[in-house]
Amino acid sequence: MSANDAHFLGAMRRQGIPEFPHFFVGNGNLAQFATRDDRVCVLNILGNESRTVTPISHTYSGGNVVCGVQPGRSGSVLKTELNDIPVYNTVAEALEAGHRFNVAVVYVPPAGVKDAVIEAVRVNPVLTRVVILTEKVPLSDARIIRQYCQLQGVDVFGGNCLGIADAHHHVRIGGALGGTHPAESLVPGTVAIYSNSGNFTTTIAVYLLTAGWGTTVSLSSGKDVYIHFAAAEFTNAFHNDRRSHAAVMYIEPGGYYERDLVFEKPVIACVVGRWKDRLTKACGHAGAIAGSGDNAAAKERWFMEKLGVAAVYTADHPVFSAKGAVVTNIADIPSAMTAVMALNRRQPDFAPIGDLSMKCWFADDTGLALPAALDVKAVPAVEPYKEQIEAVNRQVGVIPPREVMKDASGASMMDPQTQITRLHGASILDLATRSYEENLVLALVREYPDDTGRALANVVLNAYVDLHGTPLLAAAHAARAAGSSPNTALCAAVALLGPNLVEGARTAVLTLLEVFRQSGITDLTDPNVAIDARIAATTAEQAGTLLAAEPDPLAAAMLAGAQARGALETAILRYLIDLAAAQDRHPSADAVLAAICLHLAWRPLLHKRISVTTLANLPWHLRVAATMVGASVNPDRQTADSFGGVPVRSLIDDWSFTETAYLALLAHRPDADGRFAFSVLLGLTASNGPGTISAQGAKGGVSADGPEMPERVQVNKGYLGFLSHTGFAHGGNGFEAMQFLIERFSGRNLADPGDPNHGLDLVRIAADYAVDFKLNKAKAKAVGNLSYAKIPCVNHPIFKGKEINLDPREVYVRELFESRGSYNVFHEFYHELVHALASYGVSSNVYCVNIDAVIAVILLKILWRPYVAGEVDAGFLEYGAFTTFLYGRTIGTAAEIEDHATRGRNMDTRTAASQCRFVA
Amino acid sequence: MQITGMLWGAKLLDYVDYPTAEVLGPDATGTQVKDLIDRWGSVLIKPIFKGGIGKKGKSGLIGRATDLATAMREKERLFFVEHRVGNQVAKAEGVTFEGAVPAEHEIYVSIADATRYRAPTLTITHHGGVDIEDLAPNQIAAIPFDALTGFKGFIVANALDSIDAPREIISPLVQHLPKLWDLFNNYGMSMLELNPIRMMPNGQGRLSPVACDFKCAFDGDDPTWHRLNLPDNLESASYSGFEIEVNALRTYQGQSDVFVINDQGTITAMTFGGGANALVTELLGEAGNISSDFGGNPPYEKMYDISRIVYKHWLAQSNVLFIIGGKANNTDIYTTFRAMADALRDYFNTHGRRPLFVVVGRGGPNLIRGMAYLKDTLDGLGLPYRMFGHDSAMSGVVNYARDIDAWMRTGGRAEIARQMGLSINESAIG
Repeated sequence: MSANDAHFLGAMRRQGIPEFPHFFVGNGNLAQFATRDDRVCVLNILGNESRTVTPISHTYSGGNVVCGVQPGRSGSVLKTELNDIPVYNTVAEALEAGHRFNVAVVYVPPAGVKDAVIEAVRVNPVLTRVVILTEKVPLSDARIIRQYCQLQGVDVFGGNCLGIADAHHHVRIGGALGGTHPAESLVPGTVAIYSNSGNFTTTIAVYLLTAGWGTTVSLSSGKDVYIHFAAAEFTNAFHNDRRSHAAVMYIEPGGYYERDLVFEKPVIACVVGRWKDRLTKACGHAGAIAGSGDNAAAKERWFMEKLGVAAVYTADHPVFSAKGAVVTNIADIPSAMTAVMALNRRQPDFAPIGDLSMKCWFADDTGLALPAALDVKAVPAVEPYKEQIEAVNRQVGVIPPREVMKDASGASMMDPQTQITRLHGASILDLATRSYEENLVLALVREYPDDTGRALANVVLNAYVDLHGTPLLAAAHAARAAGSSPNTALCAAVALLGPNLVEGARTAVLTLLEVFRQSGITDLTDPNVAIDARIAATTAEQAGTLLAAEPDPLAAAMLAGAQARGALETAILRYLIDLAAAQDRHPSADAVLAAICLHLAWRPLLHKRISVTTLANLPWHLRVAATMVGASVNPDRQTADSFGGVPVRSLIDDWSFTETAYLALLAHRPDADGRFAFSVLLGLTASNGPGTISAQGAKGGVSADGPEMPERVQVNKGYLGFLSHTGFAHGGNGFEAMQFLIERFSGRNLADPGDPNHGLDLVRIAADYAVDFKLNKAKAKAVGNLSYAKIPCVNHPIFKGKEINLDPREVYVRELFESRGSYNVFHEFYHELVHALASYGVSSNVYCVNIDAVIAVILLKILWRPYVAGEVDAGFLEYGAFTTFLYGRTIGTAAEIEDHATRGRNMDTRTAASQCRFVA
Repeated sequence: MQITGMLWGAKLLDYVDYPTAEVLGPDATGTQVKDLIDRWGSVLIKPIFKGGIGKKGKSGLIGRATDLATAMREKERLFFVEHRVGNQVAKAEGVTFEGAVPAEHEIYVSIADATRYRAPTLTITHHGGVDIEDLAPNQIAAIPFDALTGFKGFIVANALDSIDAPREIISPLVQHLPKLWDLFNNYGMSMLELNPIRMMPNGQGRLSPVACDFKCAFDGDDPTWHRLNLPDNLESASYSGFEIEVNALRTYQGQSDVFVINDQGTITAMTFGGGANALVTELLGEAGNISSDFGGNPPYEKMYDISRIVYKHWLAQSNVLFIIGGKANNTDIYTTFRAMADALRDYFNTHGRRPLFVVVGRGGPNLIRGMAYLKDTLDGLGLPYRMFGHDSAMSGVVNYARDIDAWMRTGGRAEIARQMGLSINESAIG
């Protein structure tokens, strides 16, 4: 018989079962819904959904899919674990190729469903079932499918359903009931499931397992307006299936499919969707929108009457009869089933599998103190998830997805309204109140260190600051001697701090991470944390990366410094010391550096705030920071054991790195005010967001190395990008304001800029300047010089246009110093100046004093006395201003380098050729 | 999409040459209205509501005038009138003037798919002009018919016969009503109702069945009604901007159904599956802001776009981002979670960080990969979270989300904001 002949046979009407005299139903027993004898053809077999679902169904069912159809793809196959399923252009072609099947499964997109069904039925006379998976089938097509298949004597399931599964037969036909591992959910038992929801078909099967109930047939009916194989047909087939002792029916509002059901066996009806009365349009299932007669409340009533119960069953108020129960929460189904079946003298099919208690698999509070009732802890999951979760949890640190990070940053962000930059969420105004070393740690590990961490950061930064006798210092000095700018000189030194110099520390820090990774230790500073088990678990190979045969003076100095600062109790240093003692060897300097780095990074690592890449880079960053300060000091101020005239041992034991940086520039230890002012300077200059030239330089340096292989990224080269992208215009411009102020105050006998009783008439000085400026500007304009000297550090493109303008950053710092009783004559002068400029008509309103002025006035206040005394010259002021900027900006640069190395893509800072311009 | 009233109803009925009352729109001039009154004796003034809303007559929202001054007074009264039926509230956007059709008989007719019969069904009565629910069953005929052959004249005749309809109305209805099937079937309608049809005598003593009110609904899954080129804004009033944006993503791959439950809600639930949608929305109640169903294995791009739109509209006011579904059969958890996580990260990048607690309950293919991706993202954003497996009762997870929301309302939100280093402005709901 050919496929064309079949057309005539197909037109003959089949006999339906007698229980349904008014319409056709072909199948009256659940046991025959999905059998090992059924043979299936899948329409649109190579579509997205079928491609993943069909092979699993096929394998689970012992190979029930004989062929598939995909127009234009004849000759293709769909690979499965069992065999390759052949694909044809049409159903007729598949039949002509000799395939025989009694079930068609339809994955065709909605617009083609009607035609696909009619064609499959038309050409295949032995087709008895069609399962429509497709959702959003137009109502007008559903009408025709219904009528056509009624006439042809074909049972249709769906649409928008997930098909049928029989746990006893180990067969599923149609969609993905039971997901990728059907046998996990579809365990043979005595309960049949009918569900308007495809997902809940499986979910209910899983829930039933928790009370020891397995399933016979699970039927996902779909919930379109047309449910082609509906509750009445299911109920009849359920009655006739001897394996099914009870049924669960999951019912949503809309339609009268369930109103006239009569049950002969126990049923748990789960009716949901009372809230759907409020819907004026379908949300979720297309057919789940009801009028007043078929809403959830009405359906609850229908089932309560049928099942002889007066109320809905809940755990607190279990109402049930031997006929069944009505629930409105699927979680109540298992216990309701057990209760009802007990009245029918039937026990569960097997011992409970799992339970429905709350099982949290992943939890994190980022340190929040949640109320006890809400503080649900993670518990081990059931297999196979348990093993997978353990693998995830073994991962320490975050692995952010990589993306193009050109002009983007996960570290810094400047608010275009306030011009205030945030670094890892902290405003630079807050950074201004923190020490240099604290801000460096924040930049690298995204949070400020604890007291121990701060002490250890000072130890390590001071331990590496003295560069006496190193090529790094010689290179920087040679560059300076050749007339290079401060940034260029520092470049020379940093370029020599290549990967080989930090390899030992990088290896050591990864060893320490491996040792402590699964320790369960959260607070390293807790003196009660035992480290014996860590020592015992350390392999010889690991110990080899941490210990040396001979004492290492630098390591000893750092450990002594940690002890002097009361920071030796951190578990990692205790581990290192005890490990060395146990093996009669000595910690290497790399190991101590690495241990301090791990201490700083531990909490952020546990909270997945930083990556392991960042941890491995930490020693490098800290050494670069120390080198920047060390290389900015001439060789004649450094010896084997002293820096800037101060014993290195003292620095390690007692000095903050802020003070050391101050010492490097100004040759003495600052007092409290000096230290505070210097910290403010460094904090304010830390970052101006990812768009600044210096940040772009650093990001380009990282991008060019290819961060997708993070171990290739040369951290020191990122800093070279930063340093080479600073200069007299970017970083060195603070000097212009200092020079401007020096011109205004020279010859005025100002002894102490911090003394409010300075005896100068600032108003007069400002007024005189404003008058002169106006005069000279007019003259310059008259001769066509439009670039007449601008006054540095007043006015701002954002903070303008009001009668009196203020830069909020400047206001904040001014108030900060005022609150400390700290006076700065230069700062006061600037305010007099902007008022004078307005009063004398130079400006139309009162300009703001901008943030750059703040930096200049603070630095000039510090340098004024040595300048007046002739100890430093104008050249030094320029050098000092520029170097101070470089120190401060090192904070933000460290953050950008790590952010880009962790998130960026290879060469992602380049500009497409199409975006570039040629300028003639 | 639903349409009520004769302003557009008359236009649609014209496509199939069905007789209608004469209608003027809200911008009709006084001269036009007077002319209408002169020809028909009186006019009915009816407010125009976008979308489908009924019971206007019962609510006194239909005016009648035999002179121009009264007609204009009624226009003023009804032009912006507000009408509430159950949970539905509609505000009028103008009025129509309809020539009053003289008649002895008023007919009710509707065509819709009846789940009782699983077939298109004609419902008809000659006791029309009232709510159909107010009539006794024996006054109404409901006759299913063959979708393949359509709605034929004999079906009308049999139906009217079965309720003892007056003989004089049968023939004209047999002649005209089958035209409605063309409109219903060819333009993707799910419901068409004319109530009343007034049987107007013509010159030869025959009756003409003139449609005097119109209601229809279109099937959102059927593209054929787009042929009618109805203006986009015809029903826009009944959709929020959020719903319109999400609806634009509507394709057959994956669901993207949303409905605004409470625009003040503080739990944003990304729900997967129609079943979960019903359960979760019910249990969240007023705490939830939207009801959603994003199941059906959406591809990454679609899920990302949905998430982006949901976050844009709701995250600023939310305490809890709630990702919830059963044990997915086919929806790829890694794909959907990756899309939601990426969209969340991008939201934080563009809108700034917000204090938020993330609660997840889900199962399905690639579950742990998906959860791990989301976990890494949340770790990176510094957000607290709890993720529950599919073997936790879904209702328990919903209740946990509600408890977290309650805690957030009473200080938790501020605590998370502090933990994240956010300013008061950044942490405020808004």
